[in-house]
Amino acid sequence: MRSISLSTLAKTFTLDCALLTLLLASAVVSAQSQAAAHHDVVIKNATVMTVTHGNITNGSIYIKDGKIAAVGENVNAPPGVTVIDAGGKYLTPGIVDSHSHIALDDDVNEATSPITPHMMMKDAFDYQDKAIYRALAGGVTTSLLLHGSANMIGGQAVVIKHKFGDSRDALLFPNAPRSIKFASGENPKRVYGSRGQLPSTRMGNFAVQRQALVEAQEYMREWDSYDAKVKRGDKDATPPKRDLKLEALADVLRGKIMVQIHIYRADEMLTEIAMAKEFGYKIRAFHHALEAYKVADQVAANDIAIATFADWWGYKQEAWDAIPWNAVMCMRKGVRVAIKSDSGDYTRRLNQEAAKAIRYGGATEEEALKMITLNPAWIIGVDDRVGSIDVGKDADLVIWDGYPLSTTGVPEKVLIDGEVYFDRSQSGLGTTHYKEGE
Amino acid sequence: MTQPTKLVWSGRPRPLLLTLLLTLILTLIFSLQALAQDKPVVLKGGKVLTVTHGVIENGVVVMQGGKIAAVGSASSVNIPSGAQVIDATGMTIYPGLIDSETQLGLTEISAEEMTNDLVEMSDEIMPHMHTAEAFHAESALIPVARMNGITNAVVAPESGDTLPGQDSFIQLAGATATEMLLIRDNAMPLNFTGDQRRNKGGFEKSKFPSTRMGLAAQLRQAFLDAQDYQSKWKDYERKKADAAQTIKDSKDSKDGRDKKSEPTPPKRDLKLEALLPYLEGKKTIVLAAESPSDLQTAVSLANEFKLKFVLNHISHSQPVLDYVASLKVPVIVGPIYEAPKDDERYDTVYSLPAQLYKRGVKIAFASYSAHNVRNLPDQAGFATAFGLPYDEALKAITLNAAEIWGVADQLGSLDVGKTANVVVANGDPLDIKTDVKQVFIAGREVPMTDRQVRLRDEYSK
Repeated sequence: MRSISLSTLAKTFTLDCALLTLLLASAVVSAQSQAAAHHDVVIKNATVMTVTHGNITNGSIYIKDGKIAAVGENVNAPPGVTVIDAGGKYLTPGIVDSHSHIALDDDVNEATSPITPHMMMKDAFDYQDKAIYRALAGGVTTSLLLHGSANMIGGQAVVIKHKFGDSRDALLFPNAPRSIKFASGENPKRVYGSRGQLPSTRMGNFAVQRQALVEAQEYMREWDSYDAKVKRGDKDATPPKRDLKLEALADVLRGKIMVQIHIYRADEMLTEIAMAKEFGYKIRAFHHALEAYKVADQVAANDIAIATFADWWGYKQEAWDAIPWNAVMCMRKGVRVAIKSDSGDYTRRLNQEAAKAIRYGGATEEEALKMITLNPAWIIGVDDRVGSIDVGKDADLVIWDGYPLSTTGVPEKVLIDGEVYFDRSQSGLGTTHYKEGE
Repeated sequence: MTQPTKLVWSGRPRPLLLTLLLTLILTLIFSLQALAQDKPVVLKGGKVLTVTHGVIENGVVVMQGGKIAAVGSASSVNIPSGAQVIDATGMTIYPGLIDSETQLGLTEISAEEMTNDLVEMSDEIMPHMHTAEAFHAESALIPVARMNGITNAVVAPESGDTLPGQDSFIQLAGATATEMLLIRDNAMPLNFTGDQRRNKGGFEKSKFPSTRMGLAAQLRQAFLDAQDYQSKWKDYERKKADAAQTIKDSKDSKDGRDKKSEPTPPKRDLKLEALLPYLEGKKTIVLAAESPSDLQTAVSLANEFKLKFVLNHISHSQPVLDYVASLKVPVIVGPIYEAPKDDERYDTVYSLPAQLYKRGVKIAFASYSAHNVRNLPDQAGFATAFGLPYDEALKAITLNAAEIWGVADQLGSLDVGKTANVVVANGDPLDIKTDVKQVFIAGREVPMTDRQVRLRDEYSK
């Protein structure tokens, strides 16, 4: 589908006529050296859903060095760039999934202790897992891969871009903020309770969590004291013994790691909010958060986002009060709401899940789209880089065949950092960087 | 109440007072109607998707005595006097949707074992289990499903056993289970997906069967035993008839005696007894398989015993779809959300309904769910994005399902004489954004509320 048509370029883009000859000459050069240079791309003739500033019909995007360099009805772009004619189709930012466990080869839970903050999901990340490709084909470009919910404090997440077919390091979202998974409720108490261990109740859950945080405070004080001695020039100061577990928790207390909490019940949300205040850290998001609608004011007041399901319910006792209006009710109270998958299945069609927010509660198209783009990007801490179509952001984009907020809209092309990684029109898997048999 | 009741619905939130007022008015109208079920109800002015005879713009549907009394254009249908007329302008009207496999009424909270009656796992061969006998009519899940226009469903046991028991065909409204269970034991699953091998593992496993050949042998033995049982009973019936004749003859000859020749009936065996209607081809076996090899093993087994069957799932049988078509049986397909194999293209299962349709196979969709039954139409909509024509997708959750389950004379389309299971929605049934505004089951307005609506309203105050 890639074409370089200078006549189209001349018609579509605002070019300075005086420079046209020069540009034509340089275009030939850049077309020849295209493979070597970073792909600069223009997507034209698209219905651009920017998420932040409305829709642009018959809009264009100029992508330079993998970033969005211009967006509008007309964009200035040098000749020689690869032109993708979207044929009037919808163009959205890549979908961001703020709660996923794919590509971990089932190494999701280190369920041998309720406190395992030193587990790094990156160490289990299987960059060749086809689940990454299947999500990509559903328009997902960024995912937060979290530890499971067996432990009160699980491991640290890894943020990936779905650049399927590239090397492992290319799939790691560069310089992504650190996130840690906390959990609450039924899962920890079931896992440890079934072994006759602590915790087996909700009070046990919170006691275990508080104990770990108290130890982290002490560890942090020891290090702070050591650092102060060193600063004073005390040459005899000996460093405390490093403890990976407490080091990670100390970083939570220092605000260096964002806290993502698996949680269902409203009362537990209030307890977690109180616990965060007690120890002075911030909660980034409540995940699942099926009862958030009951305490939406408090969730909003503490600037906590939610990453929730569109309409899952009833699979366990603490999911019994789930309602499909949760997302929109919380949104209307000022909560940042993301719809997430928590599943290798649903991550392939998060656009459909977001559309349910229109049905249940009357979210606008832009509000619904935000729930699978900009808001989950905020939860991950990468909203300055992905999640909307704005100048300066990564060119993670989806061209849709059909209307995205529907069952009939499916991705036609998915670009990450300005490069096409999935193209439905191609035979085989439809991947452009991964070749079967490699 | 001949004055048209103007119901203008919009997807946008409206002021609370107005909503309350509207709710009050609607509640009054519907409760009045509930008291007077025999009064005809007329839906006037909507876009009517008949399924069997096209789309009628500005159509009219008349429901009377629980049946559809008339369907047509506004100009062609006479509105009976005394009817309640509902203005459905701007609405889409379509037949109640049918889900071809659910666990409705068999579970409440998945993780809470005491609320589950999904499958009896003590043995693989459990044909004498009747879902009708576990069906919980008051389940909170049923109103949630019908709020989205699902009016009928097959209730099947979970697929842990090769023969887990018998299905029921229900309607999603009724005062009691008796009223909701339209057909008890309408069909029986025969599962051969590999998942029934609960004893697989190393050589330390000692319980039969632990392999596919074990499962197949066990099934074959069960059907052979049933045949044997059947012949014993036939033999008994014949002897009994002979004995009766002998007694009659002796009486005729005024020589009354000889009770000794009356035969002893065979011992009743509920398991084998349950298989007889299927061996006789009177009822349908729902044959579940995923891969080509399992599919062909299961089909040859069914053919060996001349079972009447439809296929279920076949999510990974793409290489043998021509063979599937040659069987000339319907397929309950999917769910199309089943992940493809690792070497398969992402849309391999998404496109399966279209692939089957192209080969002339009749298909139906199922949610294979209890809590998510309401999302049945989403699957049909999604299949259209991968080549299934819209009309076929709609049929796969209405008429095709009715035909497969033998109820097409009553359900599956908006035709005169059929049960008045009718849905009024603010848009297309296959559009995920569509909000269902009113559901009629057997001509009665279903209360448009459920546990979730009540919670929403409680926390919206």
